[in-house]
Amino acid sequence: MKFIVSSSALLKQLSAINGVVTTNPVVPILENFLFEIKAGKLTITASDLQTSMMTEIEVEAKEDGNIAVPAKILIDTLKNLPEQPVTFSIDSDTYSIEISSDNGRYKLSGENATDFPKIPTVSNATTVDMSTEVLSSAINNTIFATSNDELRPAMTGVFVNLSDTNTTFVATDGHRLIRYRRVDIASPEASSIIIPRKALNLLKTTLPSENVSVKVEFNSSNAYFNFGNIKMICRLIDERFPDYENVIPLDNNNDMTIDRMEFLSSLRRISIYANKTTHQVRLKLVGSELQISAEDLDFSNEANERLSCDHEGEDIEIGFNAKFLIEMLSNIASREVTLKFSAANRAGLIVPSEIDENEDILMLVMPVMLNNYV
Amino acid sequence: MKTSTHEIRKIIHVDMDAFYASVEQLDQPALMGKPVAVGGNKERGVVAAASYEARKYGVRSAMSSRLAAQKCPNLIFVPPRFERYREISHQIREIFYSYTDLVEPLSLDEAFLDVTENKKQMASAILIARQIRAAIKESTGLNASAGISYNKFLAKIASDLNKPNGQAVILPQEAEAFLEKLPIEKFFGIGKVTAEKMKSFGIYNGFDLKQFSLPFLTQKFGKSGLHYYEIVRGIHLSPVQPDRERKSLSAENTFSKDIFELVAVKEALSDIHEELLRRIQKSEVQGRTLTLKIKYTDFSIQTRSRSLEHYIDLEAIWEMALELLEKEPLKMPVRLLGLGLSNLNLKEENQSGFGEQLWIDEDWI
Repeated sequence: MKFIVSSSALLKQLSAINGVVTTNPVVPILENFLFEIKAGKLTITASDLQTSMMTEIEVEAKEDGNIAVPAKILIDTLKNLPEQPVTFSIDSDTYSIEISSDNGRYKLSGENATDFPKIPTVSNATTVDMSTEVLSSAINNTIFATSNDELRPAMTGVFVNLSDTNTTFVATDGHRLIRYRRVDIASPEASSIIIPRKALNLLKTTLPSENVSVKVEFNSSNAYFNFGNIKMICRLIDERFPDYENVIPLDNNNDMTIDRMEFLSSLRRISIYANKTTHQVRLKLVGSELQISAEDLDFSNEANERLSCDHEGEDIEIGFNAKFLIEMLSNIASREVTLKFSAANRAGLIVPSEIDENEDILMLVMPVMLNNYV
Repeated sequence: MKTSTHEIRKIIHVDMDAFYASVEQLDQPALMGKPVAVGGNKERGVVAAASYEARKYGVRSAMSSRLAAQKCPNLIFVPPRFERYREISHQIREIFYSYTDLVEPLSLDEAFLDVTENKKQMASAILIARQIRAAIKESTGLNASAGISYNKFLAKIASDLNKPNGQAVILPQEAEAFLEKLPIEKFFGIGKVTAEKMKSFGIYNGFDLKQFSLPFLTQKFGKSGLHYYEIVRGIHLSPVQPDRERKSLSAENTFSKDIFELVAVKEALSDIHEELLRRIQKSEVQGRTLTLKIKYTDFSIQTRSRSLEHYIDLEAIWEMALELLEKEPLKMPVRLLGLGLSNLNLKEENQSGFGEQLWIDEDWI
């Protein structure tokens, strides 16, 4: 089998799906790309069993054939070749691959394509269409709050709940929770899935910057994302997502509205002085003044700032992990944000003051107990 | 906490049977004996818990409600009431605390107890488990299952063996043989993904797992490799980690001769009060609940307690203790008196300067 392809065009396709390939996969064949040629079209697959990505490219080929090609050597070779047509010659008996270019010839040993795991196909799927812009914004708004704790598998992904009026994306690590809702995606058939973080991270880096349509298909075990010539398939997390609606407090009547950037910059400065384990900052609301402070008794570090805000409710003092607040505030676009509290040991809420009519963002964060709290 | 890693511990894992669903059946007698699913409805949502009647039809928790309704057309869906489950869960935990302070709740419906040393001076963990299950039944009307072994991992596995409404023991000398036969996915801490990976190495049960060396396991599974290597050999040293806030501080005295005269009882109580004060000052804690414990000559135990909104002043403890004593007359001669302070704030935690990051919901952990 033999085919000719542009080195840079091939590299571009491989780079788009290379993120799936892990360095220490469960089965060694997954260190390869699967190449399948059919009628002049090369389909390339990368997989880690949980997530698989496929892409297509036109090549010059007289015959059909398959081969598994070591991913790292191939990518490194292409990266270092000047743009030119390269010829792949494959010996289908020994699986040896020869790449020839103007610069020279490179031989590497491939593997039998039939050893590459079968990629599941779609059946009984629910289909929704969304734009890359909507999908990336849903991912960016939630993924940072997912958990790394493999003992809580449900929380290591983003929960997606489709209904006939909206779609809700939820992520939580047990300490904070993001609920991102869009009214411009809906499905007549209600359903919910948990998409693993790795798949979403891959999507985040692969989704094209131009706004194209993404076709999402899923059944109870897998989800499929189609955009441009790229297809991604991931196994869903088959767990029960925590009952998130019940933990969102409805009676947080202590409201503070503040300039987001001012608040964020202040937190970034104050957090330098916070304890390195808890990252605790203290927010003290007195009238329409917000006092932000932190101290690290071990190093005698301390810092204080005062900001003005709109405040409705009793004076309150509450502690938070500064990293959580900074991450949440950085993921909001609105000029002002509103924080809603009830007590120093109860969940606080952050919502943007103004928002796109199609979306709804609610962020919940649990406090860090202040030392003087009784 | 003092837990030597070398002595053999006695650990009980208590697990409520179909907890949410059983509570609903208890509160709504019309549901008794019927297939019940908590959470979701026929069209959407997910089953959070299924009654044993529903499980006969193949309904499982975490199943989509629609599938559940297909499997069991008569399935009755009821909305969850977490407040109520929490209330009962606290009731059950009180029973645990009457045996030991080493209670580690895993969720609303299960907990580990270390009863190596226990408040009832009972030698048999099997008997304690039986008593606890009977006490739970009596106070809540619900069935619990229990597993008894020498570490948490085995106790957890054991509680599943004779479920529902049963208990099982895995003795130290039986553990290895038992684990060799255990399918790999039944190991607590080995989830679906890990189990799959293990199967790719030909590991289907404990025996298979045992054939692999520690370096191999750590290379393939990272830090967890050591854990897998140890658990299959019945080694799991993680101690029962109690909810520190629930600790109490107490002092008690068994008298050489039973006393009945109020004057004598007050005098005895005064000594115990002084001992309690000494302990409070030493550990620098404050508490909101004071409990008086009276053991009568027939070994029956009575406790009387009072809780305040704020922490009790040291000076006020004596007044409160007397109040509790005089609240009702003594039934018969007294063998033992005890005075305890609970609902503590542990100052030692606060002085460290480390704030505690709170969880959204303890049941999620």
